[in-house]
Amino acid sequence: MTDHYNKLVKLAARAFYDDLPAKSENQPKTGRSDNRGIAVVILDALTRRQWVREEDLAKDLKLHTKQLRRTLRFFEEEKIIAREYRRETAKGAKIYSAAVAATADGQTTKEGEEKVKLHTHSYCCLDYAQIYDVVRYRLHRMKHKLKDELENKNTIQEYICPDCGKRYNALDALRLISFEDEDFHCENCNGKLEIESDKLAAQEGGDGDDNARRRRREKLKDMLQKMEIQLKPLVDQLSRVKDLPVPEFGTLQSWEALASAAGRAANGDNAGDSRNSHLGYNGAPMPYSGDTKVVVDFNGTEGKGEGIKSETDGKPVKVLPPWMIRSGMVLTEEQRGEVKQETKMDGTSTSSTAQYTEDKKSKVEHDNNTNIQDEYIKAYYAALLKQQHELAEAAKKEELSNSQTADDPSSSISIRQVGMKTKREEDDDGTEWEDAPIGGNGNGNGSYKAVDLNVEADEAAADDDDEDIDWEEG
Amino acid sequence: MFFHIVLERNMQLHPRYFGRNLRDNLVSKLMKDVEGTCSGRHGFVVAVTGIENIGKGLIRDGTGFVTFPVKYQCVVFRPFKGEILEAVVTMVNKMGFFAEAGPVQIFVSNHLIPDDMEFQSGDIPNYTTSDGSVKIQKDSEVRLKIIGTRVDATEIFCIGTIKDDFLGVINDPTTV
Repeated sequence: MTDHYNKLVKLAARAFYDDLPAKSENQPKTGRSDNRGIAVVILDALTRRQWVREEDLAKDLKLHTKQLRRTLRFFEEEKIIAREYRRETAKGAKIYSAAVAATADGQTTKEGEEKVKLHTHSYCCLDYAQIYDVVRYRLHRMKHKLKDELENKNTIQEYICPDCGKRYNALDALRLISFEDEDFHCENCNGKLEIESDKLAAQEGGDGDDNARRRRREKLKDMLQKMEIQLKPLVDQLSRVKDLPVPEFGTLQSWEALASAAGRAANGDNAGDSRNSHLGYNGAPMPYSGDTKVVVDFNGTEGKGEGIKSETDGKPVKVLPPWMIRSGMVLTEEQRGEVKQETKMDGTSTSSTAQYTEDKKSKVEHDNNTNIQDEYIKAYYAALLKQQHELAEAAKKEELSNSQTADDPSSSISIRQVGMKTKREEDDDGTEWEDAPIGGNGNGNGSYKAVDLNVEADEAAADDDDEDIDWEEG
Repeated sequence: MFFHIVLERNMQLHPRYFGRNLRDNLVSKLMKDVEGTCSGRHGFVVAVTGIENIGKGLIRDGTGFVTFPVKYQCVVFRPFKGEILEAVVTMVNKMGFFAEAGPVQIFVSNHLIPDDMEFQSGDIPNYTTSDGSVKIQKDSEVRLKIIGTRVDATEIFCIGTIKDDFLGVINDPTTV
């Protein structure tokens, strides 16, 4: 979930970048040159975006581009954000704009499009993976430094002769070893040297040097404690984020491809849905080459949370299958069977949805599914309706009122074997399911849904065992 | 750290070496004189690698010795603060241990040895962890960090620490 990472970024911003010095110290601070706190604002804004053109960001934040850029450069040096520069024409900018339009953020970037004339544009994006490491490293170094000083780790040991009071340090060690025994001996009186500890120094006390040292120690200890208390939320957040997959947006180009593809897919049917959801790795459109086979792979990788792979795999699936299935359904029995299974799966998927929502796997992938699956679902439901009608008609003809309900499951069971692949698709359908209601747009989804619910009720009970078996095969 | 540098030295040569092999004699005498010495400025001269140039000899009044200014290339080794070295332990006592990295002597005092290592006196004095898995004794090889150097005109002495990440014993003589 990006939420946790966003929180991490926000905490880190407040902890470390709150007091970025205003750069122009010799100038009187006008409203514009005063940069304090700007860093936090910018980072916060970035948590709500993915790749963003810096001009647009500046506009959104009502900042001067120069001012923004200066801060962004600083963040780049801090390895907190990734930036990309490219010279582009109006067309290139449009790709980006299209991508932006497809993202959920709902920012309007209309102004950006018109002005572009082969300018160099820079884009920036939070680099979550790196932020995690940077923050951890920073904390580590802070603690290490304080502790080192506290423990006098790198100081030079001093020795003192109890008899004559002469002091030596470790650099004299070579001269001090005697060959009679293994101790250090005083050069003057040949007495055994003792390690001068802090306690001894404290006892001798008195001279300002020691006092200063002690005060310094106190201060360090204090600082260390304060640091631990004040940074506790940040540390907690770090540990919370530890096991979560990092939200990644890829390079600007790949992100754009994905975003625009997703946008296109979303426009196909329920655009509202995809807009609400985060936009992620989605395949760019490709010629229809794949089969349902490909779908299987796609889903498999998805399960493992490898969003990047799905990028390519997902492409062919997106547009093709629904139409094919629809045409097939009306005609052949098998198709019908498949459809039934699928609807059944929808029923089961409600349980899996829970997993998915919980699942920390980035929304990015999740969206992948939604786009593809929205299409599927439409087709399925359409087919399902038809099928139901047919069944109803058949049932009437046969007039076997008792066996009617039994028929549905039995037919589906017989055709079950075919379904291995399709079943997988169904899982994903589960995720769609969530989205559809949320979007609220659902073009006529309501009616499908009603049908679907009925089917679920019919079949869910009868088919539970079969489903399990299929699952294993998958 | 090692450096390859050019140094200059005035060599005095006895008249008996004059002749065909004067140059060879000069070089071999240079090597004998210079290699293994230590200057505070350049560090230890490890080896002479070449002669850059031999100037005109000057006969000294009264003795017949001739002085040649010789420029030579050589490899020198100079330890620096913060440098990581691998060294062989030469002596262990309750104050710490001494180690040698080539010509350099390094002392690691006991408060710069990790806290979990305790001094064990006895036949072979050593520092050992409580579980006995790591032992520092004579002839152990350790990796240490130099935290202080004392540079005299003809001597360099270092103190080191093994109280840091990735420092400590790298090869235990008892297990080999």
